[in-house]
Amino acid sequence: MSKATFKVHMKTMNLLKSGLKMLKAFLILFLFLGLGELINYLVETPVPGNVWGMILIFVALKVKLITLESVKPASDTLLNYLVLFFIPFGVGLMSYFDFIKSYWIILLVAVGISTLITLYVTALIQQKLEKNDSVL
Amino acid sequence: MTAFYSLPVFGIGLTLVAFFGARALRTKIKLVLFNPVLIAITLIILFLVVFEVSFNDYNIGGKYLTFFLGPSIVALGVLFYEKYQLIKHNIYPFLLAVCCGGMISILSVSLLSIYLNAPDVIIKSIVSLSVTTPIAIEITKITEGIPSLTAGVVIAVGVFGNAFGPSFLKLTGIKSEAAMGTALGTAAHGIGTARALEVGHLSGAYSGLAMCVNGILTTLIAPYVVIWMVG
Repeated sequence: MSKATFKVHMKTMNLLKSGLKMLKAFLILFLFLGLGELINYLVETPVPGNVWGMILIFVALKVKLITLESVKPASDTLLNYLVLFFIPFGVGLMSYFDFIKSYWIILLVAVGISTLITLYVTALIQQKLEKNDSVL
Repeated sequence: MTAFYSLPVFGIGLTLVAFFGARALRTKIKLVLFNPVLIAITLIILFLVVFEVSFNDYNIGGKYLTFFLGPSIVALGVLFYEKYQLIKHNIYPFLLAVCCGGMISILSVSLLSIYLNAPDVIIKSIVSLSVTTPIAIEITKITEGIPSLTAGVVIAVGVFGNAFGPSFLKLTGIKSEAAMGTALGTAAHGIGTARALEVGHLSGAYSGLAMCVNGILTTLIAPYVVIWMVG
């Protein structure tokens, strides 16, 4: 085998390896999502399955049942595109045009003011009480 | 042509084009109103209205993208674990901030609605406005509101927080990235968290956990507040 073909061969192998790692990471995430949905189905909690999955995977990482490296490729990819996944929900607003038209002032004032107050109060309390992490 | 609109590839393709287009625009024009989510959603709605495509047709493809929301929320747990060491020393201020923020959100929106003479069904539908869509819909089922209105308002709040949250907080003198993340996650759930992740990974971690904690808190409190306010 010539040096050049060997190099290409190694490149393909590395690509295949990282692809498999990514696949395994996604499988683990979906496993925890499934577990969360299962809990929600069996116990009928008001907390949705994906939030259960979030809590479970945190606990599994904490007790070292799974390693961070094994799930990080998938979780980083998903979080990078988080905004994209919300867009269809946002487009769904177009179905409520008529309702929004009749109550838009009430909705705008109540929702807008409440959101700003919530943002400010939360940030203020955290900023006043937190120990500085800007040095970390 | 109608057949093409109802193919999944139409909704997925349109969303991807609008999203990456809006993102590219963002790097050129640094204006608050050029927020990628806002631009992408506006472009898609305009396209659908102009070409008379129904939301249901669009959503045949859109659903495939929405599907990834489930594993993304699980991925937030991974992000939180990764940043837990950074958060641990601040866990009590963090929890206090989220709990106060969550309560203020429920109380302020219901009191404002009552003050503005909103029909009861609006209060029942928007009391959980600051928590993530799937949880908010569950709460609206308990309070007997309109789940579809809840979904609309929750997304609007998210987009509002995503677009204007950081500049509003800077304006009011909030300097801490962590405080900004906690506030965005508490008030504007996942869409706010997406923005917090742009501010920084630390801010994103605070935001993701704030969303989770506030989701659980609001589930436990909001139904009782609604009963107390409107009976």
